[in-house]
Amino acid sequence: MLYSTFYLDDKLMGLPIPSILEIGRSFKIHPVKGAPNVIDGLINLRGKVVTIINLGLAFDVEKVEPTEESRIYILKNNSELKKVEDSDFVLQTSPDNIGIHVSRIADVINVEKDGLNPVPANINHPFYKYVARFNDEFITILEPSNMLNLNEQ
Amino acid sequence: MKQANDIKFNIYNPVITYEHRAAFDQIVSQLQEIFPICNHGKCKALEVSDDPQKQKQINDLMEKVEFFSNSLITITRVFFDQLYRAKEGSSQSIARSTAMIKTAMIERNLLERTCDVRWWALEKAFSECITLSNNSSTGIKNVNNKSQDEKLQETKNKTLDPELKTSVEFACRRLEDIRNSYTLYRDLVIVNLNGIVVANSNENRRNAVIGVKVSDEDWFKRALKTKDGTEYYVQDISSSKLEGVDSLIYSTAIRSNGNEQGEVIGVMGVLFDFQGESQIILNDYLPQDSNASTLDGWYSFFTNLNGIVISSSDEYAFPSGSMVQLPNKHWSLNSSGEIFTSTTVIRGKRSLVVSSKSEGFDEYKGLGWISHLILPESAMFERSNDKNNYGISPQELMNSKLIPDLNKETYKKIQQNKGDIQLISINGIILATDLGKAGTSFIPIFDQITATGNSTTGTMEGLLSEMSSDMLEQNLKALENFSKQAIDLIDRNLFERAADVRWWSTDHVFWEGLMENSNEKYDDASKRLGIINASYTMYRDLIVADLNGRIVASSKSVNRDKLKRMNVSEHSWFKQGIQIARSVEFGIQDVSNSDLENNDTSLIYCGAIIENGAREGKAIGVLGILFDWEALAVPILNGVLPRINDQKVEGGAAFYVNSKNIIIATTADEIFKVGAHVDLPEKNLNLEPGEAASGVFELNDKRYIIGSSKTQGYREYKGLVWSAHVVRPME
Repeated sequence: MLYSTFYLDDKLMGLPIPSILEIGRSFKIHPVKGAPNVIDGLINLRGKVVTIINLGLAFDVEKVEPTEESRIYILKNNSELKKVEDSDFVLQTSPDNIGIHVSRIADVINVEKDGLNPVPANINHPFYKYVARFNDEFITILEPSNMLNLNEQ
Repeated sequence: MKQANDIKFNIYNPVITYEHRAAFDQIVSQLQEIFPICNHGKCKALEVSDDPQKQKQINDLMEKVEFFSNSLITITRVFFDQLYRAKEGSSQSIARSTAMIKTAMIERNLLERTCDVRWWALEKAFSECITLSNNSSTGIKNVNNKSQDEKLQETKNKTLDPELKTSVEFACRRLEDIRNSYTLYRDLVIVNLNGIVVANSNENRRNAVIGVKVSDEDWFKRALKTKDGTEYYVQDISSSKLEGVDSLIYSTAIRSNGNEQGEVIGVMGVLFDFQGESQIILNDYLPQDSNASTLDGWYSFFTNLNGIVISSSDEYAFPSGSMVQLPNKHWSLNSSGEIFTSTTVIRGKRSLVVSSKSEGFDEYKGLGWISHLILPESAMFERSNDKNNYGISPQELMNSKLIPDLNKETYKKIQQNKGDIQLISINGIILATDLGKAGTSFIPIFDQITATGNSTTGTMEGLLSEMSSDMLEQNLKALENFSKQAIDLIDRNLFERAADVRWWSTDHVFWEGLMENSNEKYDDASKRLGIINASYTMYRDLIVADLNGRIVASSKSVNRDKLKRMNVSEHSWFKQGIQIARSVEFGIQDVSNSDLENNDTSLIYCGAIIENGAREGKAIGVLGILFDWEALAVPILNGVLPRINDQKVEGGAAFYVNSKNIIIATTADEIFKVGAHVDLPEKNLNLEPGEAASGVFELNDKRYIIGSSKTQGYREYKGLVWSAHVVRPME
């Protein structure tokens, strides 16, 4: 399956391409008072309201600031996701579209199913789904649904 | 973004290097390959999906890719233009400042000459000799129409009255003393009212010069018309009966009793070694090969008001005395200080020609000369071989203040386009994935687009980092050039001070005073010092100390009482001076605090006052001259501060450092404080005489680029191991 990779600081992470609706650079983000601080705000995507999660704050590291290089991944909602056939694993996001604000995107890579490893128990993190080996690097594949769940807790 | 027709350096411009043309071709051909790929994509869209919305999405993406490819092609053109404009700009600004420094050097030198001639004309030995000569019926005869043999015969058989003979001998001796102290003159003559040369300084030319009638020469006629001792005349380079070569003659009237307001009794003429001096100036700042010959295509020369070459670094290409072979605008500059630059073919090479008209210096208005500097166009765009990156990443360099904003914008634009293409490709892949199996055929198309985008922007980033390192090199070169100007100007000035002190120490008032040791004579000496100080504005004070270090005379009456109570026997300048046994020697006390003055630092020159006014003998006292060093140094430093388009760069600074690495003058007292030990990289401080260096250093968490030059001395003046430094902040 193809994965779109991106950086949080210097750590490479990835999201499965089929879970992505689109990637954009310049959305106008409307901050929402009272929302959890990991949420940058809301955007209007062709009439849809999408919540934007700041990946830096979600991982409790430095906040991702809007820059020339920062990007927003808009993820499909569950019903959009159902239309995608031929998945290597069962994808889940959430009933609503969410966006993830990342500092910089990298290449699209192809990782075969046997290249996906479960996250070692000692570094288990609710956002992590798999660890993938690609060339000499490890890429953590994220589980988008958990990111939103966490905020709902 | 600029339109294509604003582009000066297109890829066909001959100055574009082969490597750059190849890089350009590669970028453009890669980008052009994207268009058929996009067309292929558009066709595929119809094959893989019946959904018009999906088809449109794919079409839109392909069109966006086409748009950004086009935009990148335009940016590439603009980028190459900017790259070469940036190089052109900084090369030109270095060439302009080099052309300017040459006029500045010659002007400053000529100004000193005007002080000299006016002062020397007051020497009593000359007025006495001329008076006798004017009154003598058996005086020196005109020998103009006689052969060399006849002249010799005439001189031998001369029946000068003994008093005049002694007086002429003494005048010649004093003229020789001047010439020995100031080595810039080929000869000095004094002329009586009939226009006949009575005495001269150059022993080797004496027989040929004495008795020559110069009454029809301009410098003589104009000097007779000067109103008082403050006036002088300069005769622009022209032929004179006094020499076989063209002369630059300074002249003024000799007045009765050596009094500035006295009646005109004769003329003093000094023949400045213009050719020798200008050769030094012209050959300076010209790059040389390993055999010390000037590189091909580099020329430097001066022209006068009529566009005639008066001195040249290459007598074959631009011979002196000929009309200069340059477009008119170069030699007919109107206003002083004007600079004209053009590109033209010189001796078969496309060259940059910079012409800079002198603006005079201080009171000296100059003769309207123009300094021309010619260099091959290829030299402007040469890549430096020095690939030192000074530990600075291309990114840091790109963001530094050394890179013009315009280039930064282009860089940003390239980054943006790269980002856009990447984004389009990924979104395309997402779209293709949504199409399921049918969409997989799109993936190679988008991969190709991503690869092209990465590769072209990668090449451009490489070029940008090359450009920024070139800009760094050129900036360093400019600072080196500025620091060299600063040290050269100071060396030349200090040479003059060394000449002054040597000459003044021979004045009869001083040795007579010390030998007689009377208050009356010391008062005369103080008066004499006072007159000198009034004519030469660059001294704070002048003092005479006796053998025991007691100050016996000084130029300023305000300080005199305090000074007379002082003993200077432990002062470095005094200790140096008292050891001197020859009038052609001098000593210097480096810039330091001195109790001779209240709060200022002084630079003190000293010369020995020798018994009986002999050229060699026992020192009976010391003349010390306290030079107003800061008044000279700070304006020079201000003049060499880094500039962009004639605007001073914020945070730029220049300073002089002495042999102990202590700052002795500065333009930025907050950061590079006078008296402070300066912390600079080794290679900028440990320079050989005449050597220059540049580099990057950090001070107070701020990064600077720096150019440094060590003194190379000038003529007999060897310099004080000082160095000049010019810095510019990077952030």
